[in-house]
Amino acid sequence: MFKLNFRIALRNLWKNKGFTLINVGGLAIGLASCMLLLLYVAYEWGYDKQYSNYKTTYMVYNNQAANGKIFSFAATPGLMAETAKDEIPGIKEAVRFDYPSDRLLTYKRNSFKKSSSFSDPAIFKIFDFKVLKGNQSTFLKNPNAVVLTETLAKALFGNEDPINKVVKFDNQEELIVEGVIEDLPKNSSIRFDFLMPWSLYGKINPWSLQAGWNSNFCMTLIQLQDNSFFEQANSKLHGIIKANNKDSNGEPFLHPLAKYHLYNTFEGGKSVGGRIEQLQILFLLAFCILLIACVNFMNLSTARSEKRGKEVGVRKAIGSSRADLIGQFMMESILLSLLSMLLAFALIEVCLPYFNNLLGVELAINYTQWQFWTMLVGLAVLTGLLAGSYPAFYLSSFDPIKVLKGFSVAGGSSLSVRKFLVVFQFVFATCLIICTAVIYQQLNYIKNKSVGYSTKNLIEIPIQGVLNQPEKYALLKDKLLKSGVVADVTNFSAAITQGGNNGYGIEWPGKDIKSNVLVNFRSTGYDFIKTTGMKLSAGRDFSMQHADSANVMINQALAKIMGMKHPVGSVIKWGGTPVTIIGVIEDYVEESPYKYSSPMIVTHTDGSNAVALVRVAATANLSTAVDVIDQIVKEINPDYPVDRHFVDDSFADKLKNERLLGTLSNWFGGFAVFISCLGLLGLALYMAEQRKKEISIRKVLGASSANILVLLNKDFVKLVLIANLIAFPLGYIIINKWLSSYDFRVGISIIPFAIAFLLSLFIAVLTVSVQSAKVAKANPIDALKYE
Amino acid sequence: MIKLENIEKYYANKGLKNYILRHVTTTINAGEFVSIMGPSGAGKSTLLNIIGMLEEPTYGLYEFMGENITQLNERKRIELYRNHIGFVFQAYHLIDEMTVAENIEAPLLYKKVGSAERKSRVADMLDRFNIVGKKDLFPNQLSGGQQQLVGIARAVVAQPAIILADEPTGNLQSAQALQIMELFQTLNKTENMTIIQVTHSEANAAYGSRILNLQDGLIIK
Repeated sequence: MFKLNFRIALRNLWKNKGFTLINVGGLAIGLASCMLLLLYVAYEWGYDKQYSNYKTTYMVYNNQAANGKIFSFAATPGLMAETAKDEIPGIKEAVRFDYPSDRLLTYKRNSFKKSSSFSDPAIFKIFDFKVLKGNQSTFLKNPNAVVLTETLAKALFGNEDPINKVVKFDNQEELIVEGVIEDLPKNSSIRFDFLMPWSLYGKINPWSLQAGWNSNFCMTLIQLQDNSFFEQANSKLHGIIKANNKDSNGEPFLHPLAKYHLYNTFEGGKSVGGRIEQLQILFLLAFCILLIACVNFMNLSTARSEKRGKEVGVRKAIGSSRADLIGQFMMESILLSLLSMLLAFALIEVCLPYFNNLLGVELAINYTQWQFWTMLVGLAVLTGLLAGSYPAFYLSSFDPIKVLKGFSVAGGSSLSVRKFLVVFQFVFATCLIICTAVIYQQLNYIKNKSVGYSTKNLIEIPIQGVLNQPEKYALLKDKLLKSGVVADVTNFSAAITQGGNNGYGIEWPGKDIKSNVLVNFRSTGYDFIKTTGMKLSAGRDFSMQHADSANVMINQALAKIMGMKHPVGSVIKWGGTPVTIIGVIEDYVEESPYKYSSPMIVTHTDGSNAVALVRVAATANLSTAVDVIDQIVKEINPDYPVDRHFVDDSFADKLKNERLLGTLSNWFGGFAVFISCLGLLGLALYMAEQRKKEISIRKVLGASSANILVLLNKDFVKLVLIANLIAFPLGYIIINKWLSSYDFRVGISIIPFAIAFLLSLFIAVLTVSVQSAKVAKANPIDALKYE
Repeated sequence: MIKLENIEKYYANKGLKNYILRHVTTTINAGEFVSIMGPSGAGKSTLLNIIGMLEEPTYGLYEFMGENITQLNERKRIELYRNHIGFVFQAYHLIDEMTVAENIEAPLLYKKVGSAERKSRVADMLDRFNIVGKKDLFPNQLSGGQQQLVGIARAVVAQPAIILADEPTGNLQSAQALQIMELFQTLNKTENMTIIQVTHSEANAAYGSRILNLQDGLIIK
């Protein structure tokens, strides 16, 4: 029985090639989209869960009240780890971990600037990094040691054995390679290419040895003996900073490592979600796309009910029970979904590299994992069952007498179910179109919004190595200006598109003593305004004509907080020292282009700073200018790579997340629309079959093809209109929620809705017309002579 | 074998009862060859369908091989039906996607006959109906008469006690019709198979042993 049904199912698929193609294609796209999204969700979900002790590992977060809000961040005093381990029972290990940053590592002529960090030896107890070479028990105990990852070791040493070789760190320290570990997985929050002992950190940063309890400069990772200690340890940790320093308002707490990546948003000192929300949306999207692909399948299968009806009748007449028929139809749909799965695979394998590139992740199908296969087969069978259920129950319910007598199957109830399904598909598709349109509008708005300075042709070069010596920096500036390709040069204490130091100690006349105002601290050399193209709303830039060591510039945000109408000339106190405001800079985009600028104070420095900002002359050819600049920098600072960035590139990086979301919703929205159209096509096919006789009679009575076309399309236009009506408020709610997290956002206009409306209508009419035109043009006699 | 008592069938339409069959009472014994005749709309096919358990009477008693059909549940009815009734249709109603051999095999599958026996019975049928050469063809590759032969083979292969034929020759040319009727007669005579056919043609009715004349839902003769 099974064999015969199977054979017939295959024959059926082969005979109706067009139908099979639409069906398998729709399901395959649905399945591929679903699996791709699920792979991504699994990847994000697996963040930091590769380590066997991840469940008992915690990141220490620090709550600090300032500006009337509580800020939570993963920064702690360096003293925390040791004290916590000594004083709090239940803590198995506690280590410091430096924020990874790119630093230079050199072996002979090979030198690489790679992500590096410092930590305590116990980090190898917390994380079971896979050690490839070396003795793990001695790692990081010697202050002049380094542990490399596999890729870096290969790059530095090639085929040589790296153990006990001496490498040079930042052109200063000589370090002995103690071990090589496997590369860290990309979905691990703790990442580095080489790791050095904390004792070296103290040697390089002597201030950190004296830093007390009010200096938050490193991460602290804590591992508990087991989670029953959590409550107790967490509450003890809470007061640990205040117990050691009465002036501090830091209140640390434990945040599970497994949640570090996904639950990264804090409000009022408590975790309130974060990336997990985006993940949930994607998860939902995955199943919605699969669902509409299934809906499609149902539509197309039931559309052929007249054809299959006869078969049902005959089978019942020769002794089939309803259960047999349900089984048969289910088998057919599972077969089809398995076929689609094969095609989906091909699609995924083709798309994966593109998708990985787009998202900057490393997704791969792991063919050796049994979980993967179970999920795969499970998904295929689930899809088959889901998609096949309605057709199976519907088709098997036919009364054999009626279908065999050639009565057309009463379409009423089943048609309305199908209409409902199509409306559902289109609601989903229209919502996605609306969201995509608004996401792109928002992206455009942010892209075109004034940054506050000119990012074009502005180059940022890190000041490192010998450039830290003021006279070398002066030489660089001089050479650059004389090269003719550079208009202006200045320096800044942080990358201009990124965050930097901040703190409290700003006082001004009339300040409420109890309030803490968090202010960004920056310093710059001469020509800052001229180089960046920022605007001063009052006052002047630092200049050589004045002695500016006790002068500062502030931004408008700070002026507003201080409530000063004319701040220029006012004297405020910074860390107890009086300083004079000489200029007010108009707010520019500091870190996030979506957020209001934070208050900022800028001092003048002549000495070394973090980056040099170079404005390429407007007259210069950009590529030659870049070559000239590279050459000059290399000449003065030969030990380091030039490492120059265009500021507009770093700025474009900030839009990455939104651009990604835009691309994702564009793609998957496109798929959803496409699949929905297939569903609509199915409905049109069905309708054409149903109304063949009616249309023929109308034609005999004198209706023109155009009349018929209008008649047939009218119903579908109605469905799409209903879908739009439902989708509009739904889309509005969703997109409004999304936009509300941005300070700067576009107003929701009628345009996205109009786009969604016109697009869905246009596509629907186009799809349906393909079918109805065929019916409208058909010879009426062909349909009527069978009556 | 078949006992019908006061069978009635009507469709209610806006409160009006639209009668198809009224007070149909008759008995058909094993081995009979009965022809149901009457003008269009007399209720011939409905009567046949009720006998074949594809339709239920609105009212009345129907006993099939001593069992009261009107009181049986769905599963039992299908069981009874599978084992004892074979249908032959005017429009043949073969399954287009199946070959000749598969069409003949299908009822055996539902009866859960073992594979070896299935093969031998199908081969037997093909042989008996002289369609061995056509066994791998699909219905649309056959003439009407050949299709009806397959239809009959499909009805006979399950070895039913009774064959119900609804105008089996209605779509056929006369030479083919003759062949089919002779086949029915042989089945009736040599295998003692009970046959009930609905027909318009006096000539076809003459093959039977008895004629039931229906008019407006009533047996008039």
